[in-house]
Amino acid sequence: MGDHLFEVDGVHVSRLEDLRLITGAGTYAADWNLPGQLHAHFVRSDRAHAKIVSIDTTAALKYPGVAGIYTGEDAVRAGYVRGVTFLNFKGKNDMEGRIPERPAMAHGRVRFVGEPVALVVADSALAAQDASELIRIDYRDLPVVIDPEAAVRPGTAQLHESVPENTPFEYEAGDKAATEAAFAKAAHVTKLKMESTRVVPNPLEPRACLIAHDPKNESYTVHVCIQGMNMMKRQLSAYTKVPEDKLNVIARDVGGGFGQRSTAYPEYCAVMIAAKATGRPVKWVSSRTEGFLSDTHGRGNIIEGELALDKDGRFLAMRLNWLADMGAYLSPAGPVSHIRNPTTCLTGVYKIPALYGYWRLAVTNTAPIAAYRGAGRPDIAYAIERLVSNAAAELGIDAAELRSRNFIQPEDFPYKTPTGTTYDNADLPGVLAKALELADWKGYTQRLSATEKTGKLRGIGISTVIENTGAGMYPKDEVELEVGKDGVVTLYTVAKSQGQGHETTFAMMAAKVLEIPAERIKVVQNFNDRALIGNHTGGSRSMVGAGTVCHIAAEKLVQHGKSLAAEALGIEPSQVSYGAGEFRGPESGMKITLAELAQKREVKIKGEGTFGTTYPNGCHIAEVEIDPETGVTDIARYMTVDDCGVVVNHAIVEGQMHGAVAQGAGQVFGEHAIYDKESGQLMTATFSDYFMPRAGMLPDIVMAEHATASRINPLGIKGMGESGCTASLGALVNAVIDAVRPLGIHHLDMPLTPAKLWTEISAKRGTARA
Amino acid sequence: MAKVEIVVNGRKEAREVEDRTLLVNFIRDTLGLTGTHVGCDTSQCGCCTVHMNGRAVKSCTVLAVQANGADVMTIEGLARDGELHPVQRAFTECHGLQCGFCTPGMIMATVGFLKDNPNPTEDEICKGLEGNLCRCTGYINIVKAVKRGAELLQK
Repeated sequence: MGDHLFEVDGVHVSRLEDLRLITGAGTYAADWNLPGQLHAHFVRSDRAHAKIVSIDTTAALKYPGVAGIYTGEDAVRAGYVRGVTFLNFKGKNDMEGRIPERPAMAHGRVRFVGEPVALVVADSALAAQDASELIRIDYRDLPVVIDPEAAVRPGTAQLHESVPENTPFEYEAGDKAATEAAFAKAAHVTKLKMESTRVVPNPLEPRACLIAHDPKNESYTVHVCIQGMNMMKRQLSAYTKVPEDKLNVIARDVGGGFGQRSTAYPEYCAVMIAAKATGRPVKWVSSRTEGFLSDTHGRGNIIEGELALDKDGRFLAMRLNWLADMGAYLSPAGPVSHIRNPTTCLTGVYKIPALYGYWRLAVTNTAPIAAYRGAGRPDIAYAIERLVSNAAAELGIDAAELRSRNFIQPEDFPYKTPTGTTYDNADLPGVLAKALELADWKGYTQRLSATEKTGKLRGIGISTVIENTGAGMYPKDEVELEVGKDGVVTLYTVAKSQGQGHETTFAMMAAKVLEIPAERIKVVQNFNDRALIGNHTGGSRSMVGAGTVCHIAAEKLVQHGKSLAAEALGIEPSQVSYGAGEFRGPESGMKITLAELAQKREVKIKGEGTFGTTYPNGCHIAEVEIDPETGVTDIARYMTVDDCGVVVNHAIVEGQMHGAVAQGAGQVFGEHAIYDKESGQLMTATFSDYFMPRAGMLPDIVMAEHATASRINPLGIKGMGESGCTASLGALVNAVIDAVRPLGIHHLDMPLTPAKLWTEISAKRGTARA
Repeated sequence: MAKVEIVVNGRKEAREVEDRTLLVNFIRDTLGLTGTHVGCDTSQCGCCTVHMNGRAVKSCTVLAVQANGADVMTIEGLARDGELHPVQRAFTECHGLQCGFCTPGMIMATVGFLKDNPNPTEDEICKGLEGNLCRCTGYINIVKAVKRGAELLQK
């Protein structure tokens, strides 16, 4: 399978979905409209933590065009008080998760700035917004808890009665005693306290929904941005108790996801209340600032790590103490992804005989945290890779050499880790060798001296990582294929692209088996007239899961088609052969095309597959130049060697890598959701205050592949949508720290802004001069 | 309320709008041309970029009444007679889009930028796109698409 341009309506495109997207014909959530629709505006809490004393809607209700106003009381009356949180395992000492209620609009108390308090619906969006300004809310302020470390300290004000010490869950993994014993005999121990900063996913499309209620059968039509309709239905149903088959979820184009789109947000449930009460469709479109305040955030982990080594630089043990900020309420995916993903890859790419990790979740007066591209994978990889590079520097061992000395070797795969994970396949020495060559690792000292002559600082950073991809929450992935009378094959899947390009890659998977052009396969990712089991798109799973099932289903279609063709041709199925859209009998002229077969009878087949977890891995190497006069960092070179198994579409894989590395670089150099510690106000709630990567931040990335076939996926495919985030945090921070280490700086937390670097460098240089 | 007459994609549109109506809302809500997107409230993202009298503007920073009498082109009007604009071709050929949400604004900004600078360097492209945000591509393929667009325009 290789890359080529497809031809759609006489136009050459690199993806089958591109034509509508470059001509303005895409349909995103805010692009839907229904006759008679009302427009919604939320009144949001301007307090981080307060009791709601009273809400007066009298004046607002009289505003021209207002059709209704709803508050937390309506949410409680409807029973919309608790979304689903996927915390279905026990914690430390068999602890059960403490999952607080979260009414679809705040009831009695607000717990973060931006929490929805009231919903105004009116004839126009402007009228709804105007009227909302007439609502009077009296609050009584409560102590504000922003810092997760302070939150879990005894005596700190508590957010929820049901969550003592603001600690919803504690968890431990590994062997504590063995780890302590290993540390006791270590020749060297390296320690770092690292923060994987809270960031805002910010897909460019703001959230939106348009919801209509049908009183005849108590069903809802929900136009909304999603990562997969099954997940949205399941979560909305859990929140509202409306059965899944009464929720018609409609989405066509989704403007980015990154984990932020998988949640059934309380706003959607509140709009359902308004749609039912008014009997009219209700449309809500989020502003960007509302998004900053109320979309789920990402990361937000404080990790204390220790790595024990023997005198030869072999790893003996690693110990982590992990505090995960969850925000004011537990999101569906936040707790599980920030515990399970790090636990799964706790050993990284290394043989570490003894491992122990302790996780503690904290609630704070901030927006809830959920999955963000990698969802715990970048965080664990970052912690390990910082520790390894720090140890290398302390011991005076080359950072690549120390990694190489401790790699899991090719012959060890499938490799069972000390925390019970089985890595399927990798060639880590091969990946490293290729990366070192690609990066001209040996030639670095020359580039360093060239930079030094300019008065700038230069650093090189490396990270070698592995991550879990593919597995999902549903027991299997199903794909349905249906042949149309024109021979076009419609492919139904519940995986939903938010930019990943399923319409192209899934079509390619089936096209290869059916030997027809991918342009003849129409991928449909959203429908309500048929039920398919399967996972949403997230966790780098869709090509491993649903994509692979496209292949399986196509094979099944050929088999099924052979028996139908045999009937039509009056021969035995064993006499039928298939190729390029045509079934042929043993005699010349005895043939029937897919289209002709479909004209005679229904040609439809469902394929399914269940695959476990597969482990893409790779090595990223970054070189940076820092101007000490300004603190500005330039990413001078960026190289990647990735093993994501068998690649279906190289252009799309490269694009995913570009985007993920850019998001990693964004977090490293500027992105940070900053709450004022006293007021709890989000200080970075617009694109003018929140750093977003812009053109020119990354140089063209030099990429190479070093594939080993997955052993759990029949086609050898591994996931790769998130690996760029997972590897880039460590590579870039290691590069910056390498540059400033000669000044005596051995760690700095992200974001490594010009202000931070300038301050640190100037302070050290000032000290040196004095 | 105010009366406006705006030529949009070659068609004269005479409508009555609230004084505070933004050009982007006029385009999206009044005319139903949803190819122009809104990605922020502070004029940073550039998703709403259209052409007004031949110049790229962010339609969220222009009132509909300011566009009275103007000639506006949106992404829907860029392809002529079914023939894609070279910049549109360049964006797909270079895989310069993923989710596609920023794409109409990116393309309209690029077309405007290449009018001013038909043969830009990579640095000039990056500066030229400072007002347009993309969250998916890391901009690498967008920069390539702008270069390719410049080449195609000169052919």
